[in-house]
Amino acid sequence: MELPINVTVNGTARKLRIDSRTTLVDLIREHLGLTGTHIGCTTGNCGACTVFLNGRTVKSCCVLAADVDGGEVTTIEVLSESGRELHPVQQAFVDHQGLQCGFCTPGMILSTLQLLAENPNPSEDEIRHGIVGNLCRCTGYQFIIDSIRAAAESVRGRPTEIAVRK
Amino acid sequence: MLSREFDFFAPSELGEALSVLRDSGDDAKVLAGGMSLMPMMNLGLVRPRVVLSLNHIDGLDYVREDGNSISFGALVRHYQVASHPTIRRFCPMLAEAAAHIGDVQVRHRGTAAGSIAHADPAADYLPVLIAYGATFTLRSSTGDRQITAEDFFVDFMTTALSPDELLVEISVPKESNVARSAYRKLARLEGSFAIVNAGAVIDRSTVRVAVGGVGGRPILIEQPWEIGGSEGSVVAQIGQLVYEATKGVVGEDADYKRSVARTFSERALRAALTKAS
Repeated sequence: MELPINVTVNGTARKLRIDSRTTLVDLIREHLGLTGTHIGCTTGNCGACTVFLNGRTVKSCCVLAADVDGGEVTTIEVLSESGRELHPVQQAFVDHQGLQCGFCTPGMILSTLQLLAENPNPSEDEIRHGIVGNLCRCTGYQFIIDSIRAAAESVRGRPTEIAVRK
Repeated sequence: MLSREFDFFAPSELGEALSVLRDSGDDAKVLAGGMSLMPMMNLGLVRPRVVLSLNHIDGLDYVREDGNSISFGALVRHYQVASHPTIRRFCPMLAEAAAHIGDVQVRHRGTAAGSIAHADPAADYLPVLIAYGATFTLRSSTGDRQITAEDFFVDFMTTALSPDELLVEISVPKESNVARSAYRKLARLEGSFAIVNAGAVIDRSTVRVAVGGVGGRPILIEQPWEIGGSEGSVVAQIGQLVYEATKGVVGEDADYKRSVARTFSERALRAALTKAS
């Protein structure tokens, strides 16, 4: 079934015609060419497909594109238009080696933003809980946790650039 | 892109949704959080001809006090159950269980009603709702009916819901001021479905412990107990009753399951007993 949807993606209103079978991650990657969001499992486990939907992180492989009609989606691309100047959270991951292959990284970073929006000064335990939904096969997580701790210090007291609804 | 074509409906009124269900019969699957349905559709395990989304219907995400109960609607998400002050105050074991579900992203989207209707026997809510004596409101285009949680869960992923019905409201009795409760869960990873889980509620003169993961639906053990009575012996009694009640558990891991079911029922009860009322 084909249907029209209206969705705001990274601040831009879009009108699209999609097949009902399209998942949100398909929409983002295939229809909009935003390939920073990744597909790792399609079962809602790995979190590589994490995006913000209406202000909260979700796994976009498990959302139907048709179901986000009228909604707002924010992807990793919003953090750095040029890719040259990095968002402080991205910079913290670079500085603390929070990535190797980078496949999980966009999801990790968006989950970091979600965590810091609700808890600007998380303990190590709270950081670990905040990324339960994001799997990494490379790093063993410790450098990711270090990166998030550094990111928290770096953004504390500054408004986060992604509005997260409570 | 998913494999088989389907019609997608996202009505803005509950009445419309019920009409779609009535007209679609077994061809339709209801989509709320999608945290069970979408992985299954992605894997091709479920290929409905109609997907009916509830996500655009206003007014289904309420949580309210209803006299001696707390009632909440079909679109209340797990993160809301875990954090809502009314639920935390009056049905704390429910909030405790919800905090164990999946992960941050899953809890942002998944709904309590969806998890209940899906009825995975290891789901975090199930033993808690049974121990609390919760009731559910099921609605079709012809009317409503109420059913207790105990009667609702029939078997492995099988409930009393008819194909034309939606679970529209969950109602949980408030804990009294002397009540104490706790939820305990054995899982390989944080957020995984439980191997076994247990919800224990102690109230004026009863202890109720429900244990999940030991068959198609959780088991409920109820024992009279006076506050001030021997805690050690009621814990041991409950553990023994759970062990006996799991006699029918089959499978290579039956002994293990029975053993951990006993252990976790005792842990949940002990944890409840040690809470200040």
